[in-house]
Amino acid sequence: MADEPKGSRGSLQGIAMAVVIWAIVVLSSLYYVRYGVPELASDRGYLDTLYYVILGITGAAYILYQLALGYVIYRYRGDRPGAESSYWHESHKLELTWTIGTAAILIPIVFTGLIYWDRVKGPAPEDAVTVMAVGAQFQWDFHYPGADGEFGRFDPTLYAIDNQIGLDETDPAAADDWVLTNQLVIPVNRPTRILMRSKDVQHAIFLPNFRVKQDLVPGMTTEVWFTPVKTGSYEVACAELCGLGHYRMRAFLEVMEEADYRQWLSDNAPASVADATEPAAEAPSASAE
Amino acid sequence: MEHEKQGFVSKYIFSFDHKMIGKQYFTLAMSMGFIGGILAVLIRLQLGFPSQPWPFLENLFPVGMASGIMTPEFYVSLFTMHGTIMVFFLLSLLPVSGFGNFLIPLQIGARDMAFPFLNMLSFWTVVPGAIIIIISFFVEGGAAASGWTAYPPLSAIRSAIPGSDLGQTLWLVGMIFFVASFTMGGLNFVVTILNLRTKGLRMMRMPLTTWAQFVVGILGLLSFPALAAGALLLTFDRSLGTSFFLPAGIFIGDTLMPHEGGTPLLWQHLFWFLGHPEVYIIMLPAMGFTSDILATFCRRPIFGYRSMVYAIWAIGTLSFLVWGHHMFVSGMSPFLGSLFVVTTLAIAIPSAVKAFNWLFTIARARIQFTSASLFGLGVVSLFVTGGLTGIFLGTNAVDIQLHDTYFVVGHFHFIMAGAGLFGAFGAVYYWYPKMFGRMLSERLGKIHFWITFVAYYAVFFPMHYLGVSGMMRRIYDPNVYEFLQPLQPVNLFITISAFVLFAGQLIFIYNYFVSMRRGVPATANPWNSAGLEWSAPAHPGHGNWEGEIPPAHRWPYDYSEPGKKRDFTPQWEA
Repeated sequence: MADEPKGSRGSLQGIAMAVVIWAIVVLSSLYYVRYGVPELASDRGYLDTLYYVILGITGAAYILYQLALGYVIYRYRGDRPGAESSYWHESHKLELTWTIGTAAILIPIVFTGLIYWDRVKGPAPEDAVTVMAVGAQFQWDFHYPGADGEFGRFDPTLYAIDNQIGLDETDPAAADDWVLTNQLVIPVNRPTRILMRSKDVQHAIFLPNFRVKQDLVPGMTTEVWFTPVKTGSYEVACAELCGLGHYRMRAFLEVMEEADYRQWLSDNAPASVADATEPAAEAPSASAE
Repeated sequence: MEHEKQGFVSKYIFSFDHKMIGKQYFTLAMSMGFIGGILAVLIRLQLGFPSQPWPFLENLFPVGMASGIMTPEFYVSLFTMHGTIMVFFLLSLLPVSGFGNFLIPLQIGARDMAFPFLNMLSFWTVVPGAIIIIISFFVEGGAAASGWTAYPPLSAIRSAIPGSDLGQTLWLVGMIFFVASFTMGGLNFVVTILNLRTKGLRMMRMPLTTWAQFVVGILGLLSFPALAAGALLLTFDRSLGTSFFLPAGIFIGDTLMPHEGGTPLLWQHLFWFLGHPEVYIIMLPAMGFTSDILATFCRRPIFGYRSMVYAIWAIGTLSFLVWGHHMFVSGMSPFLGSLFVVTTLAIAIPSAVKAFNWLFTIARARIQFTSASLFGLGVVSLFVTGGLTGIFLGTNAVDIQLHDTYFVVGHFHFIMAGAGLFGAFGAVYYWYPKMFGRMLSERLGKIHFWITFVAYYAVFFPMHYLGVSGMMRRIYDPNVYEFLQPLQPVNLFITISAFVLFAGQLIFIYNYFVSMRRGVPATANPWNSAGLEWSAPAHPGHGNWEGEIPPAHRWPYDYSEPGKKRDFTPQWEA
């Protein structure tokens, strides 16, 4: 075309576009490999497997598509000798291929995902250690049910400085209950079930190393369960915006060997294993009612 | 059709002309986008240099940055308003209200929109909304601070966070204005496209931009009322003591709240019933622009026109069935979560159709590299990058770990914000000659493209690294967590790239305003396009065509038809 707009044909732009797209693909992929999910400490490794499978599939699609895009931009840039464009604009065969092809790749992902979701969301085993997480602006209180395994009733009118979870002490089930603030201690290789409720706004408990995240919703009790498989101290984060102190709503999760856990219980839990009369105030990081 | 001579007020302020209204939307959206960009720069400033003092900023933000250090509550307001302004007042207003109004009558051969008065009213309804949103920064407690999603109880209880006081009230009032305006616009789009097409312009001859705007009009009409209802109910909860979203037993600031019987999940359902179609309200027009731009500058018909139209419909329809994927870890029934996985991943199919059709439009082409076509190619690249990360998040089992992390932030900045923004930029470069009768500077346009494209990847791709490593969204200082401290160099890199990205946009703003007066005068059809809008004069007056409206003899993509002398056959030629 003689009357083509100025500056529309530069070979430089086409070559540059191809090179930049290729460079982005290579660099972004190389750097991606350097960042993995946080060290796994629970039995939810199958979620990581699925993550890496999807990463493999979408990563391949990303690399192939962008390389192809760069290639067609380079190959069909306007100023190549004898350049001509084709009027060809329909192919049912091709269009059907990529429609069905995409579906064929997605279907196994969907089903695997649903099966794993079912496993994650299934009922907690009977022998699980059960704790109630109470989220508040901006702290976590972990309510242990004590030896009877039953949580004492809570009553919102009882919230106070020295009763952060609003526990009703007149309830017999509350007698051996006790609370840890910003610290959760659980035994390794035994399922842990965390029930949760919020005192004020929404929060979300996020255990990066355990592949656990669940919102705390006022007026509802939500729950998760998982099995820790590695001892150690891990960070617990709030993942749902809960106010100006959201960023510092942090707690620690200690996973101990079963024996150490029992020892820790008898050392710290005020009214736990046998002696319900022992005063709680002696426990360094625990508080009782 | 005669149009009366217009005075200044009726021409530039209370104009009925769809083109002027479109341009008014451009000005509003770009101003809001500029503010949204400044907020983004401030957000990145904090994340790149956590809690460092910047004494000169104290003069600008005496409360939010007292003694030069950003307060956490100011940070929360910043990202809340960044999201609100960008999603609604830039990415919805510019491609939909701006380009929809400007282009629909020109592309379908109509003198104006079906309801010009409603059109004018729609613009002047959104203006107070925008003003209220901006004013909210200057009230006591600062702007809204519950995220752009405004989840109660944080957004419902005034003492929950400083921004939840007057700032949140103004946010809700602003949104109700916005919804009223957008609903009027959607109605106008649908009626205009159904009734005012020129002779010969069958639906299946419409450009993909108009197809996208048609579906967007329907999406807006069906989804925005849910937000309006939610915003109204939330206002009642805040001001009249109702309990739609508030259960019994909420205890904030030593006070037991008197509410009972509601649930915060109801808000999430209402919000995301709008929120997800909204994503496609932003993206579909960008897909339409990209198709039109690529066809023109590849000098090739768009590949698979029919399947492109079906894909727009499929995406539009499915967009109403996927809102629950924002709520996988919300406490919603796990069974419901599984259903939403299926519908969500189904969207990947029409999206893949679009991506491959674009690739095959570019293949066997003779690409002309203009600022418009570069941005069009950019959309294709960003769309695929962002679309693929959606597969992680749509699979609920994998979403558990990635939910509410920077992986999500990276994902939606590519697919929605990125593709939407690049589409809008491409459209401005492409249709500017028809808007102002002058050309934008191609040289500045290309510089703008290269800075934007490279910086965009540099800002948003590393966010996936952060998300995979576990960094949560919306946190004021990631260094509070030991496991996030090693990520500080990534955050710093993103921050510096974001400054470059922002600076690049100043080139565009300069080009846009200076070229209005100084640009090279445009001819009626400077790109040798085949679409009907290019049959109108270089700077069309009120009524668009001076004589008869040209009929449509063909579809708008007849480029390089074999046996023709020219490499395009305009839609209006037999």
